[in-house]
Amino acid sequence: MVLEATMICIDNSEWMRNGDYAPSRFQAQADAVNLICGAKTQSNPENTVGVMTMAGKGVRVLVTPTSDLGKILACMHGLEVGAEANLAAAIQVAQLALKHRQNKRQQQRIIAFIGSPVKYDKKVLETIGKKLKKNNVALDIVDFGESDDEKPEKLEALIAAVNSSDSSHIVHVPPGDNALSDVLLSTPIFTGEEGGSGFAASAAAAAATGASGFEFGVDPNVDPELALALRLSMEEERARQEAIAKKAAEDTSNTENKDHASSSNSDSIMAEAEPASNAAADDKKQPKDDDDLLQQALAMSMEGGASGSAAVADAAMAEAGAVDPDLALALQMSVQDANMSSDSDMSKVFEDRSFVKSILNSLPGVDPNDPSVKDLLASLHGQGEQEKKEDKSDKSDEPEDGKN
Amino acid sequence: MAAANTAAAGAATPAPAPAAPAAPVQVPRGQVDLADFIDWTGVECLNQDSSHSITNALKQGYRDDEGLYLASDSDEQLLIYIPFMQVVKLHSALFKGPEEEGPKTVKLFSNKEHMGFSNVNDYPPSDTLDLSADHLAENKPATLKYVKFQNVRSLTIFIEDNQSGSDVTKIHKIALYGTTVDTTNMKDLKKIEEH
Repeated sequence: MVLEATMICIDNSEWMRNGDYAPSRFQAQADAVNLICGAKTQSNPENTVGVMTMAGKGVRVLVTPTSDLGKILACMHGLEVGAEANLAAAIQVAQLALKHRQNKRQQQRIIAFIGSPVKYDKKVLETIGKKLKKNNVALDIVDFGESDDEKPEKLEALIAAVNSSDSSHIVHVPPGDNALSDVLLSTPIFTGEEGGSGFAASAAAAAATGASGFEFGVDPNVDPELALALRLSMEEERARQEAIAKKAAEDTSNTENKDHASSSNSDSIMAEAEPASNAAADDKKQPKDDDDLLQQALAMSMEGGASGSAAVADAAMAEAGAVDPDLALALQMSVQDANMSSDSDMSKVFEDRSFVKSILNSLPGVDPNDPSVKDLLASLHGQGEQEKKEDKSDKSDEPEDGKN
Repeated sequence: MAAANTAAAGAATPAPAPAAPAAPVQVPRGQVDLADFIDWTGVECLNQDSSHSITNALKQGYRDDEGLYLASDSDEQLLIYIPFMQVVKLHSALFKGPEEEGPKTVKLFSNKEHMGFSNVNDYPPSDTLDLSADHLAENKPATLKYVKFQNVRSLTIFIEDNQSGSDVTKIHKIALYGTTVDTTNMKDLKKIEEH
């Protein structure tokens, strides 16, 4: 709860007639001022807010700092738009108004809405900024509307001169769909230094048209636990997706490297996929009795492979294809080759006894020294060669199955 | 007297600190430290570095800690406003600071509310101190024009420059000595309990 006296400088120059901020710059600004006044007076009962205009017949203080919200809002009615804004004079008058505040414990703050061009030199603004800093006055700037003539740079320089221990802020609000006041809701100007006092935010929520401004559409101040849960789950999901993306990127780079080396990346992918299928087949304890099982296992492996590494390979190929059509063609052919030879590859793997044994070793609840398993292995070895011959006759219709 | 005190302190505490806290401030006869009568809610210091605030130099305890000091922010000047809870007579003031960055020209104004850097030259100061490096080191308060501070409700201290002319002024300690004028301290009023 910051105890503050605030002066709000309203820009009511001719530039405020522009309609690029709905409904007009001036009205949008008036809404934002109302919101800020509400938030400031509610965040601490002793806070006071004053309002002044920068243009018109001259810089004019409409209300000296008061905690009476009605008084502040009433003064906003019937304001005339005209002439040019005088930023330097306004800031100095505001500082004077703050200096004579009743309660010396209040921190001093000026909030300036600046929608018209700034005619002052950077130097002049910096001098004013230093003076504010010396008098312990913080300055918040809402920069909207005109942006030519180095206005943002000038205002940044002003803030830099004022800022001590991060108490002053600047917000640039470009014209767009969001109302000026909605944009300000999430800025430090509105939420204060402690990052969103409950009062300010709830006042904002009440005043805002809907909950659309909040993440997940839930006001974190109404149900902080729900908001926390939502945020946590969001972060977890984000972390998961990042991990997947990272892995995919690594795979892609790996496969790409292999592309360049031998253009036979799909082989390596198949080789990776096969142990999985072997394991699946071994689980059933009668791996090579019929071709169907093999097909099934292969299909399973292709499912896993296709959705994971094969997809990556496709992506890699697509990339490669974009670069070089010939290379893409070569890649495609090599993949088809790999698919055709996949079955014989499979049986070759099964012929490799030590490999199968190592797999069996790694399977839980399977003793590789069990006589029945040994028998199985022996028969498997025989069958592998037998099947090789069968494969050759089947080959013509297999690629389609394999692909699925 | 100082030596006797250090010996006593050394006996009391196992780790004797030879330098700083040894020599006590020579409080002028009949005067008291006015820190007890400062209205802390109203104390204000312009151009202070928010991480080295006025309480470091003015509050008891803090001000005797050599590590804590009041520092200026954007330039070397400081403007300190100290209201009192009751009317006081101000006799003398003590300023301590580093040799280089300690305050030099100090202007004191009595009963001037709402002073800022812009109107600091509008009023003649009640008293002006020109502190030397020796003043900043020793524990001897500088005597003020006593007649000018007979009816002080608030005191404004304007530090105009520092010893070396650098951009940052540092002050370790500000102590004010004087007497209170016999007034009714409204804080002492209590509701009378029924007998």
